[in-house]
Formats: sequence, C-alpha cells, structure tokens
Amino acid sequence: MANFDVCVIGAGPGGYVAAIRSAQLGLKTCIIEREKLGGVCLNVGCIPSKAMITASHFYHRVQHDAAEMGIKISGKVSVDMAQLQAWKNSVCDRMSGGVQQLLKGNNVEVVSGEANFKNATTLTVKSKDATQEVVAKNFIIATGSRPIEIPGFAIDEKLVLSSTGALALETAPKKLVVIGGGYIGLEIASYLSKFGTEIVVLEANKELLFGVVDKECVQVVARKLKKIGVQVVTDAKAKSYKKSGSSVEITYEVNGKEEKISADKILLTVGRKPNSDQLNLKGIGIALDEKGFIKVNPKRLTSVANIYAIGDIAGQPMLAHKASHEGVLVAEVIAGKNRAYDVKTVPAVIFTDPEIASAGMTEEECKAKGFTDLKIGKFPFAANGRAVSMMETDGFIKIISNAKNNLVLGVHMVGPEASNLISEAALAIEMGATVDDIALTIHPHPTLGETMMEAAEATLGHAIHVIQRPLSQRKGPAAHL
Amino acid sequence: MLEFKLPDLGEGVTEGELVQWLVKVGDSVNVDQPLAEVMTDKATVEVPSPQKGVVKEIRSKPGDIIKVGGVLLVLEMADSGATAKQAAPAKTTAPAPSSPSQKAAPSELKAPAATSSAVAKSANGVSAQEVHPPVAQSHVLASPGTRRLARELNVDINVLKGSGPVGRVTREDVSQSGGSGGLESGLETYAPAKTGIPRPAFTGMGGEMEVREPIRGIRRKIAEKMQLSKHIIPHFTLMDEANVTELFNTREKLKSKMEKTGVKVTYLPFVIKALIATMREFPKTNASIDDEKQEIVYKKYFNIGFAADTDNGLVVPVIKNADFKSILQISQEIVELSKKARANKLAPDDMKGSCISVTNIGSVGGTYATPIINHPEVAILGMYKIQDKPVIQDGKLASIKTMNFTITADHRLIDGAEAARFLKAFMERIENPGVLMLDLM
Repeated sequence: MANFDVCVIGAGPGGYVAAIRSAQLGLKTCIIEREKLGGVCLNVGCIPSKAMITASHFYHRVQHDAAEMGIKISGKVSVDMAQLQAWKNSVCDRMSGGVQQLLKGNNVEVVSGEANFKNATTLTVKSKDATQEVVAKNFIIATGSRPIEIPGFAIDEKLVLSSTGALALETAPKKLVVIGGGYIGLEIASYLSKFGTEIVVLEANKELLFGVVDKECVQVVARKLKKIGVQVVTDAKAKSYKKSGSSVEITYEVNGKEEKISADKILLTVGRKPNSDQLNLKGIGIALDEKGFIKVNPKRLTSVANIYAIGDIAGQPMLAHKASHEGVLVAEVIAGKNRAYDVKTVPAVIFTDPEIASAGMTEEECKAKGFTDLKIGKFPFAANGRAVSMMETDGFIKIISNAKNNLVLGVHMVGPEASNLISEAALAIEMGATVDDIALTIHPHPTLGETMMEAAEATLGHAIHVIQRPLSQRKGPAAHL
Repeated sequence: MLEFKLPDLGEGVTEGELVQWLVKVGDSVNVDQPLAEVMTDKATVEVPSPQKGVVKEIRSKPGDIIKVGGVLLVLEMADSGATAKQAAPAKTTAPAPSSPSQKAAPSELKAPAATSSAVAKSANGVSAQEVHPPVAQSHVLASPGTRRLARELNVDINVLKGSGPVGRVTREDVSQSGGSGGLESGLETYAPAKTGIPRPAFTGMGGEMEVREPIRGIRRKIAEKMQLSKHIIPHFTLMDEANVTELFNTREKLKSKMEKTGVKVTYLPFVIKALIATMREFPKTNASIDDEKQEIVYKKYFNIGFAADTDNGLVVPVIKNADFKSILQISQEIVELSKKARANKLAPDDMKGSCISVTNIGSVGGTYATPIINHPEVAILGMYKIQDKPVIQDGKLASIKTMNFTITADHRLIDGAEAARFLKAFMERIENPGVLMLDLM
C-alpha cells in the first residue's frame, strides 16, 4: 500500500481525529490500529468508566436519596453485574462503531495490525493473516500510553488488575486494595464501593490526587469517600503481595512500619507511561525525552522531518482532549497551514463523587509564576437552587484572578456536573476574560451554571446568595472569603 | 544576567530583521564583539556586545522581526565567574541525535522522492523556538481565534500592542499590523489588510521538482516595496533615443585626467547632472504625494538614488545633495556606495531620502525597460547601453553613438505631455554636454 499523504498510527482520540481532519483537507489518509478503533479512551478508559460511574451513581441514589424524595421501592434493589457489563460494552461498541462510520465516510483507509517503522517513510503492518508495507509521505504517531507497573506487582488482570481489568469485572469483588490514589484509582474505587466492594486505597503521597488538583477540591472528595466507606491510607508504599487461597495479602509500609492487608484483588493505578518503546522509533532516529515521551516542537513535529507525534506519547498532560486538539492541528500543519500548539489551558476533569474539574492555574502555580496579588472567590453549590433541588449540594466553584486587572487565572470546582461546567472557565481563560466578564454574563436560572457567575461576583466581593463582608471593611488586597 | 536588547539604531528605525547570529549559546564574548547581523530598511548592521560575558540564552532566530528594545539574547556577566563556568557545558548538550539507521534510511526508500529529501535533512532534535511566528507567550491576551489569525498572517502576536481592555490583542490589531512578520521600517502605510492585496497560495507539483524557501531579508523588502509602488502608483513609461556622440567624446577626452585621481568615472554622473538640471525646470518630477493628507510635496533638495545590483538583490543607495557635488565627487560616492552595497554594509542613512532614482541596465543589455518607481518618488529615469549607429548627416553616411533613455512617471502628478517635455529637455542636455556648463555653480 503506497502513496498515502498521511498515515496515522493508532486510532485513539488523537489518531482518529487527525485522520478525519487530514481526509477533510483532501489528503489521502490511512489509519493503523492493532486493537479496537477508539483506542483506550473509547474501549477501556474514559467511556466505559463513565458508564460504570453513571450506573453506580444511579444505584447509590436510588438507595440513599430516593426515599427522601418520596420514591418508594418495594423489594431489594440489586445490581446485575453481567447485565451492567453488557450495557457498558454496548456503549463502547456504539462509540467505536461511530468512529468506524466516520472514518469510512471520510474515505480514510483503516488497516488492522501492529505497525513498525522500517524506515522514515515505510511501515510494516503485521496482522494475524498477513504482513504488508505502508508507504506514506507523512506519519502521525498516536500510539498512546499504558499503565505503569511497580516492582512486586505484575499486572495479570486476575489478581492484580489494571484499569482495563477492573472495568471488565463480571462481579464486584468483596474487597479490593487500590494502589495509587490518582484520578483513575479514585474513579474506579468510587464506583466499585457503591456496588458494595470494600475498598482500601494506598497512596504513596501525603494526600490524594497529589500535586495537580486544588487542595480544597480534594478535601470534598476525600470526605465523600469516607462517607461511602472507602478507606484511604496516605504515605503508604506498597511492597509486595502473596497469594493465599483465592485472595491476596499485600505488604505495605507506612512511616517506616510494615503493615499487611488482605483482599480479593489488587487494582494498580500508579500512572501511565508512553508506548515509545514500540514502533522501532529509536531505529529511525526519533528522539525521546528522559521520561520516554517523543520530543516534539509546537507543530508536533518529531526529530524526523516527516513524522509527527500527538497525544499521550508526545507528552503531558495525558488527556484525550489534548490529543484530539493536537490531531486537528497536525493534520492542518501537514496540509500546509501555519498552526502551532498554542493553548492557554488544558482543562482537566475527574469523575469522582462529586466531580472535580479545573482550568488554568492553581493558587500555588499562580504564586510560582509571580502572580502574588490574587483575588480569590468561592461560591458553594449549597447556595444554588438547582443543586439543592438535585439533592447534590457538596462542593463549590473557586475562581482565582489577578487582583491588578481581574483577569481569570484559574478556576477550580468540585460538585455536581463540574465536568460539564468547566468549559465556560476554559473559554474565559482562552479569551483572556476578566472576572467581570463572567459576572456580567447573564447565566440562566435555575442552573448549576449560576454558581460560576456567583463565584465571579464573590471574587469581586459581592456575591448575592452568600453573605460577604463589604470589601471596604476587609483588609488586604487578597481578602479570601 | 543581562538581557541584551536591540539598541536604537537611529534614523527613526523602530525594528530590524535578525539576519544571522554571530555567536551561539555558551560562547564567551568581549565588549564590542559583534553578536548578530540585523537588517533595517535594507541596511545590515552588526550589533556589538555591550559587555564581556557568556551567551546564556538566545531569544530570536534568523528571520524574526525585532523591535528596538526587544530582547535579543541573555548574557551572563563575566565577573560572576562561578556561573559563567556553568554556562559552558551548554555547548556540548546541544541535541544531535543522528543514528546510523537514520542516515541509511534514504537509500532504501520506496517512497516518493519528495519524502526522501525530507528525511535526508531531518532535524537534529527539536526545540520550541523553531516555529514561526513563535507561540504566544503566557502574558499575551488574545482569543484563540485571534491567535490563529496572527499565525496565518505570519504576525508574531508577542510583539503586538493590544488595543483591547487590559491590553487584549484584537483581530483588528492583528490584521492592521501588516501580516508579513511585523511592520517594516519605512513601510508603515503598507498593510495587505488595508490595501486588500490578496496573498494567494501556490500549489505546485510538490516533490523534488520544486524547492521552497521563505521570503526573507532584502528579497522581502524588495517584494513589499515593489508591490506597494505598483499598487499605489499608476505608472507609464516614455522612451527615446539620444545621440550621445558628444558625451562619449567628452568622457573619452576627460578619461585619462579623471583616472589620475584614482576614480573611475562612468556615464552615470553626467546623467545625474543632466537630470538635476531638468528637474529644476520640471518641479513636479522632484516631488512626492502625501496620500494621507492628499497633498503634493515639492522638494528643494536633490538627492539622487541609483539602482545597484547585488548578490542579495536590488538596493538603491542615495547620493545626497548631488546638486552641490561635482562629477568627480559624485563618481567617488558612486564607487563607495556600490562597494558597501555589494558587501551588504549600507547604513540605513545611505538609502534614505531619495528624490528620484536612476536605473542603469545598459551595462547588462537590453534596449528599453519599464522600471518601477521607487515610492514615494514620482519618477525613475532609465539609461541603457551605448551603441554605434549609422545615420545620414548632411546627405552623408555617418556613425554616431546612441543611448536609449526612458522616463517612468506617476500619472497622478505627471501627465504624458509633461513627461514628454521632460524627456526632451533632458535629451537636449545629455546630447550637448556643454549645456551643462550653464547650470554650473
């Protein structure tokens, strides 16, 4: 197979988007995928985990909130995990099928198999039946990342699970030890806990979601985890495990002391690493950085002149929406347009209970960047009519702004639908909006979105639906609320 | 640490284009050691180091337009010895991955030829500095759409001054900034967005049959000035043939005398003298149009530009106040300015303030041309090669020397008849060099 203008390797949210945009721009395009179209995101990541989280949230609310709302349920509410898996898989298949339709509709040639670079313009693609060569003028590497293993814990997807294995569980284990309190571990821990699994989270750092998320937001989630019965051990280093019968015994260290804990299974979610040891990247001279990411410039060009890299393999943050953005950008670069990765913020969302979402800088990052004079405003969902009427009042929206000119520097939220509310904040930051711009935009009532407007008002010192001391009576420019 | 900024280069120059670095990160530099070549308004100057030190960081790359006061590089002062030593290893850490298989790759390619050449010149590592225009810095306030527009128009948004609230850069700020990599000195009035000159893409065959290179340096200036001139000025050209036998004989007679002074005297100084005398007679040819104010500006000084062909392209050095200078002085200046032009060392001042230009392609060939006026001038005189020609004089066959001349004029100011009278008056002078004595002061 020859004469492709663009060959995309990997059909995840970076790769398939790059392929579609390339084809839209009139470039002869093919895409190579060794597993399912849609990649980790659609098949064993973002989408299936959201299906499971939605189901668990639903189940949890039926049990805990329905009665107060006057909904009587006669008989026991239970979960049919096999049916849940079937439904979850149907969601994934539908999404993956959608990608297939889109690729077909845009005349992108889909090649199944495992790719390896023979040289900078030729790939060998090995599938079950055959090996073929694909020649193209440009390549886009979008082969993503995979879970990291730690010494003593090899992932077998039976006793030691990765997120992939956890999402495919046909029965909820009785007891699960989650190693790693990052966002993937906490999302899975939350939903399994709601399905009845006893959970212990071992986190090596001193707090959950360490270092990347606003601390106050984490506190709200930590409280809720405690409420639903998830046990969190911080400063805990997992050492090893051994099988005993059908269960496992995990050894970990806290404050220099060794502890043991037994469970049915282990979930290992300590992070992900780029798949840069594959594809024969070294052989064709593609430079990697010290962490194994492919070195790219703002056009996402690698050290080889006709090869681009996007998504997880091209560096942090390893998020699907960053990959998609890069996919569009690289396709346009190849089509001859002047484009560069030029964004102010990559928003992040975490589907814990309640959800956490952020855009822009945290308070610590602002200070590190020299913004010392900050105005910070916060508004609780408990004072929002829609949140109260949804019976989901945990959480708040916090806006950090530059006190000198009211520019929005960061927005951090924890609460109902935070993942859906953060886009407004991302737009504000990209547009260079001030807090006034948000406060003066009419937000429809009654919606969760009003919380954003009120948080902006709070930043300016005069939110309507919380009682704030008049600015004139407060001291200091960064009068926190 | 010292942030070394582009110094004020005088003459109202507000920015320059970085032509090349003469130092690299890790280099030790002395006071007054040239750091970079910066081109302003067709002149290239070497920017000297203000301090002794070590180059710590380079902030721009060749082709960048740098405003006066913009940071060129960061120097580490020599007196902070410990840190200076640290800087040195930077030299060796420059990325240079180049594996044997990468080199071997092109020979075994089955791919189209285009890609093999792309592979052959594969970049050594990648850096964030290599895209143009550079990525918006964090202080830049502009919507994503505006940032994209700037990139598409090849405008570095980092150097724009935003007119919006809190210094936000608006779409208008971008589209009015010129769209060719920033404002060019002396070309403030030229902006494609204002003049509406389209910039169509060229889609060629691609592949090895074509080579692409960015329009940079003098070529960019020429392109912009010529396009501006043709866009604004309605040109027309008049042509005639002059009998320059007397001029030829005069020059031949004077030649040996003049060469004793060590200066080569060409026909150009004579043409300049005849031109100035004719311009006095026709003041409209020594004028400019102020388009903004809708006024005609008549000049009482006579600065004559002459087109000089260099390896880098056309430049137009100017002989200032040529009406006060002798033929010998003008000859001397032509030699000096030409030498500077070829060495790419003309100062901005050497090319400023021309009233009218002369183009002489006679030395190369051709009978006539239709030159482009050097805006904001309103006319350009063309002179061509000297030829022997048979004529009938007093019923007898005779041989004379002829030279063709053209006058190209701005029809907004100079009508055809006026230009014809001008050319006739000029020819009378050049055909009878003795007449030039009448204008001697």
